[in-house]
Amino acid sequence: MFNSFRMSMGWVHTWLGLVLGFVLMICFFFGALSVFDREIDRWAIPDTRFEPQPMPSFDEVLKPAFDEMKPHPSDMAATQQRVIGDLPDPDTMPLKSLYAYTTHRDPVLRIGGEFGIPNEPKDPADDHLHVHGWATVNPTTGETLSDSALKIGSDWFYPMHFNLHLRWNMLGYWIVGVAALVMLAALVTGVIIHRKLFREFFTFRPWKHVLRSSLDLHNVTGVVALPFHFFFAFTALVIFATNIYLPLSHTTLKPLHEQHEKLEAERTGLPHEESGVAAPLASVDAMVAEAKHRWAERDMPGEVGYLFMDHIGDENSYVSIYRAGSDRVALVGEGIHFKASTGEVIREEPPRSVVASIDEFLTGLHLQHFEHWMLRWLYVFGGLLGAICIATGFILFVEKRKARHAKAGSQGSRIVDAMAVTTVTGMVIAAVSMLVANRILPADLAGKGQWEQSVFWWAWGLAFLHAAWRSSPVAKARSNPAWREQSWVLAVLSLLAVVMNWVTTGDHLVKTIFTDTYWAVAGVDLSLIATALIAIWAARKLGARAAETVKPKRKQSAQQNKQVNAYD
Amino acid sequence: MIEAGWLIAAVVSTMLSMGWFALCYPSHWKQVFPGHAGGPNTFMLKLLGRGFLLLSAVCCLAADHPSMAALVWIMLLAVAAMAVAMLLSRRPRWLRFICPPFFAVKG
Repeated sequence: MFNSFRMSMGWVHTWLGLVLGFVLMICFFFGALSVFDREIDRWAIPDTRFEPQPMPSFDEVLKPAFDEMKPHPSDMAATQQRVIGDLPDPDTMPLKSLYAYTTHRDPVLRIGGEFGIPNEPKDPADDHLHVHGWATVNPTTGETLSDSALKIGSDWFYPMHFNLHLRWNMLGYWIVGVAALVMLAALVTGVIIHRKLFREFFTFRPWKHVLRSSLDLHNVTGVVALPFHFFFAFTALVIFATNIYLPLSHTTLKPLHEQHEKLEAERTGLPHEESGVAAPLASVDAMVAEAKHRWAERDMPGEVGYLFMDHIGDENSYVSIYRAGSDRVALVGEGIHFKASTGEVIREEPPRSVVASIDEFLTGLHLQHFEHWMLRWLYVFGGLLGAICIATGFILFVEKRKARHAKAGSQGSRIVDAMAVTTVTGMVIAAVSMLVANRILPADLAGKGQWEQSVFWWAWGLAFLHAAWRSSPVAKARSNPAWREQSWVLAVLSLLAVVMNWVTTGDHLVKTIFTDTYWAVAGVDLSLIATALIAIWAARKLGARAAETVKPKRKQSAQQNKQVNAYD
Repeated sequence: MIEAGWLIAAVVSTMLSMGWFALCYPSHWKQVFPGHAGGPNTFMLKLLGRGFLLLSAVCCLAADHPSMAALVWIMLLAVAAMAVAMLLSRRPRWLRFICPPFFAVKG
């Protein structure tokens, strides 16, 4: 089919990259935003703009919050579909297990749990029937915060980068998984087809024509961050491999998995089942103090990141306390398990094996729960380099083909260009529009989060329609003015978001940087201003380039007119 | 505070290292010294580039836990390489600050 191996690799790189590049663009951009998801949450929910807190006292703060927590209506509805008969009154459902989770960046605490139900499942294989409940708690007061406000960073931008918010049959996870696999293939094929990998390592020639300069930028951004691109695509697959992509333990090997759970419970001493004998709960704060003491003895003092309790109210109940992994590339770990009724230590997890340590490192480097602000910004930079690499790939595709397509009357370049505009400027417009809507819509508006999501999708849809409507020049081998126009829209929206934050909360940059420093909000505002400045710069450049291409054509037509007049 | 110092040292040494690696290439050398008849002393530039790359890794290790230091170092390489590429495209003469005369060989 092709004359050389390199040409066939070029074909793979071009076409796989094009088809799934649109998905990868979403993954890289929203992945970069996810590095600061908690900070975006603070910007979007002004009531939570206070300093991050460590895990609060369970006995005094969390226990009352768990007592108040009810099964969530949305999970009630979902569970009702899976069981025979009506679910009991949610107020009568007993809490069977609970968790509390926090990181060094969280001023608010996420808590949740499973409520037991007596119903039989419709599917006999459905053996994990509970109704889930969850809430967000102010750790300083124990007050439950309204969950109606959408956490735009951690509940919208963050899931967007790994499931595209396509939850039907986990479709989004699968699309992103295929895209990650394609990313790995694109990296390998990219290295094979790049003739001057080292010689052009530092080469970017913006003064050359678009095809050359965009190829330079595509190569530079792809090569300098090659380890970052590779590791993030690879670890994305590793993270979801066992649960979603290859769920052997829940399908083919399910009986073996269940047997393993029971043997594991026997080995560790953590009961797998309830005993049926009621028992009170000892002081969890004392257990936390003991866990901290033991971590300090192991020369790794730290805070609690995750607290879990199972078989609540039963003699077999136990409390698991995990250390927050803020100081290294890890999530939570060093678990210590206590008997809930007495507070005695059942088990202290031993140091990890080599394999477990590698798995923890790979997962931890992607999920970045560490407290290292410089590395977090370096990750944002890496994510944006990935986005630039893909965006320049789209431009390359169009620039290489648009003259040929124009001659042949094909609409191929036009369609790709419209899609590229939608996934580059259109996607950023959608994200910033959501932030603007968040500040304009009243805080007490019913279903505010739903409105914000609608604004996001509508803004993105409109960006696509605009890009498609304005793309006709591409079919004549010219540039799409939608790039420039959407850059202007993005600049206006970004500045509007900063102004609206000031107007609606009083948190302007002088306050958040100098007088009452709060970097989470200041950082988002500064990033929005930077976005606006880059968008203005890009719009002006594109405008100047468009004017340059019109002038020679006018000159040319004037010369042709002169020649025609001369013949007259 | 000491950690911040080590990290700043890591950033500076990675930038210097990437700058010297870039200057090894005659095409980039000409961008930085357009009228110069000679070329780069590649042996010296590569030696310094490798040395400072190692130094930056040591600085990262001094600042952080090894697992974190490895990530910081790899990401710094990307940032520094990109920064040097941008300098070469916009302000190539600025790289003269890191390139004393004895880094050149006569043409």
